[in-house]
Amino acid sequence: MNAVKTQFAEAAERHLDDVHAYLVYLTGDRATAEELTAETFARALERWHRFDPRRAGPRTWLCQLARSTALDHFRAEARRRRREGRYAATEPGEAAQVFGEGLSPELEAALARLSAAEREVVALRIVLELEGEAAARVLGISATACSTRLSRALQKLEKEVSAGVAA
Amino acid sequence: MSPLELVGDSDRIVKELRASRPVASLVLRERVAALGPEPAPRWSFSWPSRRLVLGLAAAALVASFVAAGLTRGTSTQRRSGGVATVTKTSAPAHWENATNGRALDRTLKAAPVPTANATRLQRYQATLRLRVKDVDALSTATRRAMRLARSLGGYVGEVQYSTRAGKRGGARVVLRVPVGSVQAALTTLTGLGTILQQQTEILDVTRRADRESRQIAKLKRQLETASPQEAPAIRARLRTLQAKHAGLLRSASFARIVLTLATPQQQAAAPGRLHRTLDDAGGVLLRELQFVLYALVVAGPLLLIGGAGLATARAVRKRSDRRLLERA
Repeated sequence: MNAVKTQFAEAAERHLDDVHAYLVYLTGDRATAEELTAETFARALERWHRFDPRRAGPRTWLCQLARSTALDHFRAEARRRRREGRYAATEPGEAAQVFGEGLSPELEAALARLSAAEREVVALRIVLELEGEAAARVLGISATACSTRLSRALQKLEKEVSAGVAA
Repeated sequence: MSPLELVGDSDRIVKELRASRPVASLVLRERVAALGPEPAPRWSFSWPSRRLVLGLAAAALVASFVAAGLTRGTSTQRRSGGVATVTKTSAPAHWENATNGRALDRTLKAAPVPTANATRLQRYQATLRLRVKDVDALSTATRRAMRLARSLGGYVGEVQYSTRAGKRGGARVVLRVPVGSVQAALTTLTGLGTILQQQTEILDVTRRADRESRQIAKLKRQLETASPQEAPAIRARLRTLQAKHAGLLRSASFARIVLTLATPQQQAAAPGRLHRTLDDAGGVLLRELQFVLYALVVAGPLLLIGGAGLATARAVRKRSDRRLLERA
C-alpha cells in the first residue's frame, strides 16, 4: 500500500505542472483548471491500481484522465447553462494572464480565441512536448489526425496573433 | 514535431509558449500532496477491449458457419422416386470391428424392408452384408444361404468364397429367389450373422413390360398380313423382342439378393482401464466442444449486435466530445 502511495506521490510531483498546464489550455480558465487538476489527481489516486505502464507512460495516462475530467466538467456546464437559460461569456478578461506568466497580450488573446479542441493539441504537442503518438492517444485520434489538427491550430494562432498586432 | 507543422511565424510562437507555460500554484500542490491514502480497491468491472469483442464476434461468426456446415453435412439424405425406391441401412465403419453387434443387429432387424407389389411388375434387389464369427461360421452360412435359395424355388447366381491363413475370410453369394419369397429369404439370411449393411432397391418395370407386349402384338398382326419378302425381317424382330420381354419377366419374377459375408478383420482386444478413461475423457471433451459451439452459434449474433452497439456508442461519444470542445 505504501509503495503504491509513494509511486503515485512521485508521479504527481513530477507531472502536476504538465496536467495543470494542459487543463489551463483546455479550459481557458485558471480557477477551473486548478479545480479540475485536483479532481484529476484524486481520480488518479483512486484508479492508480489500473495504471498499466506498458500501455502508456504516467504523463499520458494522467493527461487522458485530465481530459476525461474536463469533458465531464464541460458537459455539466452545458447542462447547467441549458437549465439556467443563460450563456456565460467565453471571452476571458483582457488583464488576466491565463495561459502563462509573461505571454505577450496578443498571444494571450489569440489563444483565448482558439477553441478548446485547438488549444488542447497546442498544449499537448508544444507546451508539454508530448510525442505525436502519445498526444494522439490522449486525444483518441490517429497520429496523422493529431498532426493535421496541430498544424491548423498553429496557422490559426499565427493568424490571430498577426491580427492582434495589426490592431 | 515535424517541420511541416511549423509554418511562418509559428517557431517564435512555439518558443514563447514553452517559455511561459503555466505553473501550478502552491495551494494546488498542497492540495494534491494532501490527497488521502488510496482506498481499498473495490470490485470493479471493466469492459473488454474492442479487439477482444471484435475477435469474439468474428469467432462466433466463424463458429456459426462451421456449425451450419457440420449440421448440413450430418443430416440424413433420403431420395425416393416414383419409379425406384432405395432403402439403405448401414452401420458406421468403425462398428465393424466391434465384438458385440447385438444392439446393431436388433436395430437393423427392426428396420422395415420394402416388399414387392404383387399387382405390379417389379425388379427387386437386396444387398446384405453380414459379419460372421469365424471361418467355420463363414462356411456354414454360405452353404445355408445356397440351400435356402434352392428350397425357395430359386437358384444361386454366383458364389465367391475365400479364406486367408484359415483365420480370416469372406464370401459373396448372389441368390435369385422368387419375388414372393423374398421376405422369407431375407428373414432367414439376416439370422446367419450380424448385419453390417442392408440395402433394398425396387424398380417398377410394369410400363416397360406393357409397352413390349403391345409391340409384340403389333408385330404379330403385321406378320399375318405381311408379304413373303417382308415376313422374315418381321419374324426376326419379333423373336428378338420376345426374348427381351421374356428376360424382363424373368428378372421381375426373381429377386436378386447379394449376400456378402465376412469374418472380423481382427479380434479387438478388450479395452484397458486407461483406454476406457481416455475414451470417456474424449467423449466429455467432444460434448463440451459441441456445447461451446452451440453456445457460440446462439450468442454469435448477439455478440455482433453488442459489438456494433458498443462501437456506435463510442463513435457518438467521440463526436459529442469533439463538438463540446469546439464550442468551449
